[in-house]
Amino acid sequence: MPRPVLTIVRRALTALGLAGLVAAALRIRGTGGVPPQSGGWRELTKADIEP
Amino acid sequence: MKAAVVGCGAVGARVARQLLALSTVDEVILRDSVTPRARSVARALGDSACVDEGVTFDLPLVDVVVLATPPETHLQFARSAVRRGMSVVSITDAIEDVQLLLSLSDDARAAGVSVVVGAGFCPGLSCILARFGAERFDVVDEIHVAKFGTGGPACARQHHRALSGAALDWRDGAWVRRRGGSGRELLWFPEPVAARDCYRAALADALLLQPSFPAATRITSRMSATRRDRMTAGFPMLRPPHPEGRTGAVRVELRGRREGTHEVSVIGVTEPTAVGAAAVAATAAAWTIAERFPAGATGLAAVVEPRAFLVDLMERGIRVFSFDGRPRRVV
Repeated sequence: MPRPVLTIVRRALTALGLAGLVAAALRIRGTGGVPPQSGGWRELTKADIEP
Repeated sequence: MKAAVVGCGAVGARVARQLLALSTVDEVILRDSVTPRARSVARALGDSACVDEGVTFDLPLVDVVVLATPPETHLQFARSAVRRGMSVVSITDAIEDVQLLLSLSDDARAAGVSVVVGAGFCPGLSCILARFGAERFDVVDEIHVAKFGTGGPACARQHHRALSGAALDWRDGAWVRRRGGSGRELLWFPEPVAARDCYRAALADALLLQPSFPAATRITSRMSATRRDRMTAGFPMLRPPHPEGRTGAVRVELRGRREGTHEVSVIGVTEPTAVGAAAVAATAAAWTIAERFPAGATGLAAVVEPRAFLVDLMERGIRVFSFDGRPRRVV
């Protein structure tokens, strides 16, 4: 296989590997916050509404 | 006091029943384009209900007229009623009807009567929820209304037409027309309706809300639709609508500022659409009889005291929900 092609393949694999490592680190260590786990629709009573 | 209900479908029949339950209403006169249907409703309601078999837009003299007919006949009935000194409650949700009815304002003021426009589920209940939700803000910047479901067959046909019509949004101080069926947004309604894809449509909510919220920069309305609804919106309805839609829902999302911080408030109702629309129309009629609305033609948002109106609706069985999504903090 010609040398330039091997270089491209090697660089592509290296880039994919690095991207995977970064993604894994973010997935494991990332702190993106916790989506709402409670709450939701709450029925209002007359006491909530009465003037 | 006497009331007249024009249109004895899923909404009109319920309005008549609820009006007769009021201590202030002694008699309800029913009118429908299909007279046997009006007779059937009158029989079910008892001796206090009678049928008017007239064919013109002139109705017998009453204290309030509730218009629950399909769109495009509201203006003629309302004009005739105002000319003869009768107040009107219209449940129309068609943009053209709403614009025409609002244009009766000068005549209504001169006659000393009120014309309540869009007193149904959406608009109607949506206007009351918006006014109620707005009380927690110093300034309301945005109002976004969405609805799910339909009432009777006339409502279903209007729903179908609305999806292919042009939506009317208020944006940065001007009205903007947008294509119906565009602007998909996934919105959450109170259970059991839950998440639905909603789209722009020819709905009248923004038109009725804008005068009450002059500082708002965006007022929009959407309605839920399926892929089949959107695909067939441009064609006549391919099959007859159901006699009555099942569960409906309306949600109003307000964005604004309070004490310098931006906040969001979401309020919703889930009820069968015809039941919700009838409760709003009957309550509006009761308030009209009690002379709690000023003379003129307006939407509910402009004239109603929202908390008192909502309490009246709750007494008719309407349940109101507030969305309260609190993130759980990990410690």
